[in-house]
Amino acid sequence: MTGTFVRACALASALGPDLEAAVERLAGAPVAPARNTKIGGTWPYFAIPVAGKNWRKRAEAIARSVAESLRREAALAPARWAELPCIVGSSSFSVGAWDDGGWAALEPSFEFSRRLARGFGVHGPVTAVSTTCTSGLSALDIALGLVAEGEFRDALVLGAEFSNRLTVAGFAGLELLSATAARPCDRERDGLVLGEALAAVLVSAASAPWRIAALATRMDATSVTGPAPDGSVIANAMRAAMAGAHWESAAVDLIKLQSGGGPLADSAEANAVREVFAPVPRTVSLKGALGHTLGASGPAELALLLASLARGRVPATWGFANADDELGLAPSGGDAQGVRRVLFNLSGFGGSVMSVALEKAL
Amino acid sequence: MYLLAPTVLRVAPDDFPERVRSRFASELRRAGRFAQLCLLGAQACLDAAGGDGALGVLWASEFGALHATRAALDEDLRRGEPAMPFAFIAAQPHLAGALLAQRSHPVTRTACLHLAPDAWPSLPQLAQRWLVECERVLVGCVEESGSGGAAHRSDWCLLQKKPVAGAVRCERSLGPRNAAAATAEDWIPRVAAWRGSADAPLLLRGGEDAWSFTPDG
Repeated sequence: MTGTFVRACALASALGPDLEAAVERLAGAPVAPARNTKIGGTWPYFAIPVAGKNWRKRAEAIARSVAESLRREAALAPARWAELPCIVGSSSFSVGAWDDGGWAALEPSFEFSRRLARGFGVHGPVTAVSTTCTSGLSALDIALGLVAEGEFRDALVLGAEFSNRLTVAGFAGLELLSATAARPCDRERDGLVLGEALAAVLVSAASAPWRIAALATRMDATSVTGPAPDGSVIANAMRAAMAGAHWESAAVDLIKLQSGGGPLADSAEANAVREVFAPVPRTVSLKGALGHTLGASGPAELALLLASLARGRVPATWGFANADDELGLAPSGGDAQGVRRVLFNLSGFGGSVMSVALEKAL
Repeated sequence: MYLLAPTVLRVAPDDFPERVRSRFASELRRAGRFAQLCLLGAQACLDAAGGDGALGVLWASEFGALHATRAALDEDLRRGEPAMPFAFIAAQPHLAGALLAQRSHPVTRTACLHLAPDAWPSLPQLAQRWLVECERVLVGCVEESGSGGAAHRSDWCLLQKKPVAGAVRCERSLGPRNAAAATAEDWIPRVAAWRGSADAPLLLRGGEDAWSFTPDG
């Protein structure tokens, strides 16, 4: 099988400082967000369980740990590792440095991304991309192009979203946050819970268990902060991803939803899923466990999902308890046997809508 | 691929609000200065290029929405208050593409990149990739004014698959040794200045990559 494959993943998230810990924890009972942030209200927040008073030093410590995990799993020769290009997706980059360092502590997004890449020990070209919550998948899209065109055999994708008060302030201003919990697809859902993550995905031309069969991007300009209520653009993106992968809709075994518990956004995605699929395949959302990690959410959820599937489990959707009849979606975890084709949805502010077709290759 | 309408926009900070009002009839609702600056240049380029068809919008900025970030940090966060919607960093850099789409342009995808100043060749390279599914890609380099009275800049060009009258052929070059070094700040102005003034190709380099620009026909 040819194409571009996911060679290795690593993740630091609220579920743990590494992917192994995260998968183990996700298999257990749901855990509430560990931190609250007070800005115009008190908002729960999914923080990475790594202590540190200085924002920058904490971010660097998290990056070192994720880099070590990825390097171990990727098992690339040192020379090949050092040559990797690095594409960083984030919506906030280093703005959190302001929280304890003031205006002078901020640095341009590219400089922050380059430092992150160097922290991973890679010295190829660095690109930073911001497409709000889809930033990490935009980074993946760029990496896929580099590998597909033969510019590089492997490429490193980072999704980075570190704790910062400004992002919480922005979402609070938009009245999109839940004061209690993220409840994806649940009839009691009342908003998002934000979180932080640093995820690393190494894509490669070399064969690996999961192939990225297609990635589709669409623009939904209905509103700059939410999808068209009918979900038509999300449906279009899913159809494009399936067409790129040469799949019929009946071939899809699992849909990883964007769903994070926002009343309107969840509804739009559900409309899209019901329009494209009959019957609707199994679904899962990971934002009840990770929080909405914004620009990191693509690589973070990809890493967590593939690691769970590798251990034979479709993760449970934390926060989902009671189906909303109007949505018609009931995410379900359990045995992953037979899951060979996954559609992976993400959307964000500014109308960015993406869908990735993932296919079991080995 | 072919390059059309290289458009160089420099606006003094004091003149900026009036330029936006005169082009768009009013300040753009829900857009901070960075998004407005993107839109002003992008729209000028599209006006000059004409045409239609599925459009990708791809732009780079070293500093991004500096003003919006500073405003949100200084005015809202210090007081512990929610930031005004659309003025915070997650939305602002990416907003221009959506605003352009809302102005009846058939925008199918957008991305804002942060690159090293000499990494501008990534823009035409990525645009070329996007042209597999878009008919045209609007490419820009945008920077808000820093200090010292410098102008805001918003430089754009349109790249497309089909040749049209006045277009410049734009190709990645494998022999960059004789190429002139260019940066994100000056590659579009140099193409604009060169266009129509000479028959010889223009060869510009950024990092280890180079692009040639040749009059078509």
